[in-house]
Amino acid sequence: MTTPAVLADGLPGDVGRKRAAISRRGQARRGGRTRFPLWSWFWIGFAALYFLVPVFSLVQFSFGGTLANGRSAGFHWFLAVFDDPAFRSSFWLSAQIAFETVALSLLLMVPTVFWVHLRLPRLKPVMDFVSVLPFVVPPIVLVVGLEPFLQNFTWLYSRPEVLPFIYVVFALPFLYRSIDAGLRAIDLRTLSEAASNLGASTFGALARVVLPNLRSAVIGGSLLTFAIAMGEYTIASLLLFNTFPVYIFYIGQGPAAHEATALSVISLLLTWIAMAALFVIGRGGRETAQLGVTK
Amino acid sequence: MATIELQELTRRFGDVVALDSLELEVASGEFVSLLGPSGCGKTTALRIVAGFEWPDSGRVLVAGRDVLDLPANRRNMGMVFQAYSLFPNMTAQQNVEFGLRVRRRPKHDRSKRAAELLDLVGLAAQKDRYPRQLSGGQQQRVALARCLAIEPSVLLLDEPLSALDAKVRVQLREEVRRIQLELGITTLYVTHDQEEALSVSDRVAVMSSGRIEQIGSPAEIYGHPRTPFVASFVGTMNHLEATVVSSAAGKVRCGPAVLDVGLSAASHSDGDVVTMYVRPEHVHVVALAPGQDMPPELFEGKVTSLTFLGPVTRVGIASALGGLLADVSSSMALSLAIDSTVGVSIEAGSLRSLALT
Repeated sequence: MTTPAVLADGLPGDVGRKRAAISRRGQARRGGRTRFPLWSWFWIGFAALYFLVPVFSLVQFSFGGTLANGRSAGFHWFLAVFDDPAFRSSFWLSAQIAFETVALSLLLMVPTVFWVHLRLPRLKPVMDFVSVLPFVVPPIVLVVGLEPFLQNFTWLYSRPEVLPFIYVVFALPFLYRSIDAGLRAIDLRTLSEAASNLGASTFGALARVVLPNLRSAVIGGSLLTFAIAMGEYTIASLLLFNTFPVYIFYIGQGPAAHEATALSVISLLLTWIAMAALFVIGRGGRETAQLGVTK
Repeated sequence: MATIELQELTRRFGDVVALDSLELEVASGEFVSLLGPSGCGKTTALRIVAGFEWPDSGRVLVAGRDVLDLPANRRNMGMVFQAYSLFPNMTAQQNVEFGLRVRRRPKHDRSKRAAELLDLVGLAAQKDRYPRQLSGGQQQRVALARCLAIEPSVLLLDEPLSALDAKVRVQLREEVRRIQLELGITTLYVTHDQEEALSVSDRVAVMSSGRIEQIGSPAEIYGHPRTPFVASFVGTMNHLEATVVSSAAGKVRCGPAVLDVGLSAASHSDGDVVTMYVRPEHVHVVALAPGQDMPPELFEGKVTSLTFLGPVTRVGIASALGGLLADVSSSMALSLAIDSTVGVSIEAGSLRSLALT
């Protein structure tokens, strides 16, 4: 006669084995080591290659080629691009337009969204709808519609200063969503009323109390707006302004392929810097929220 | 310090009448609580005084001057909100200094005043902390110090303790009262917590459906409710239906018993159906030994429930008079059991009547 094996919990036979297996699985889950099956690694690797190979090729090509003296190019194409006065003027123009777009967007959106949240909450669905319109209306449609209108203002139409007024519309969804989310995260009504009760005017409450608490939302929205304005091609090209994206396209059309890729790398770097800044600011905002800012 | 007068204040939200010709006078240095259930209009009244709402009609006078034409930021009133309202981007000290900074007071004066007030609310050591580093009770103390910093003409408190836990609530309400007495500031306090209102106020105004049902000292409100609403809203009350037997003699019949209610029945006619009110602490319960006869001065009752409330136990009793609640000391309640027979008596003079029909 054999004695049944005593396993987990001192239970004999199959019951003990099953409980031990369940317990091991539970410990594996709780132990903090999450297991990825092989297929997960495959898909992660595939996705990484899909995105990274073109970027790697781009970077490699921007450093590639040989010069007339037989030496490898290295940073030559980048230096050539920086030496080109057309690059400097187009980059400076785009940066100027981007800053103006950010300033104009903030001036327009911050007080509007603040006022809608505080005094006209019934208009929020309208604002939500309007803010997604730029996603629905393609830039080409917008510019075709805008052109005859802008021709009435010849002093503005012929100048690149017209672009920020158009880019504000493109930046609207991003800036609006960002400020909207920021305002939802604070008890706007109580904070504004508290400021008002202590003697602050509506503008004072906005400037001294609300805006400092919207810092991450405003900076995040501004960075997105800046990136949009820096990278917009269609409208600038159709209105014949030589902005940075137009310059990249122009160089890309010519024989200077290495310079064109160097420009694309510069453009990518700028985008990544903006994304990194957004990530850092976003993390700051989340930490503030976790600490329970208002409630 | 200033007086507050609300005259014929009416406010409607669509079909809902939030305030229905509300009348209230608060004397200088007085602490008056607006007490009532949710939706009775108490917060609307306070917000109108503060300048965050506007009435459809009526007047708000502070120190004899109509303030309705002044915006909230020019009324010089201090308000503590129900929700935590400290500015998250400022330290406790900066929060307290905010109102003075708006008034362009010199930095030295601001710092001195903020330090005094943080000391008054017992948070001098926490002056450099941000709101997220303070507990709920500490945040409300800073909020109190912040609104006192501007030397307001009146202090408005909108359920400032409702988000706090029970123990902190008791501590803080005593502190609010201490500071109010120390500064002698006219205070309007909104709460739905009757214990809070009764414990700190000079007078309590019980509100229902946009009107004041009764206003008086806490003892008057608790001991002599004038309307069925006040009787049922403030504290726990037994309701007994009775018929007036002799209004001249002050006697009513309640079930098989004829009860002497003194002068309370004088305002009724013989045969009127009335509701008699008596507080549980005025209903006395006597435990009977097995086989003991019911003493003639007691009514027979059967224990239906026992609810331990700390120092007292609330006993539910089914009796010939109807269902009754009685508060007995918890030590005495040990001798009671569910379904046991007890003797019940009602303290002389504690039964009050209000006409039903």
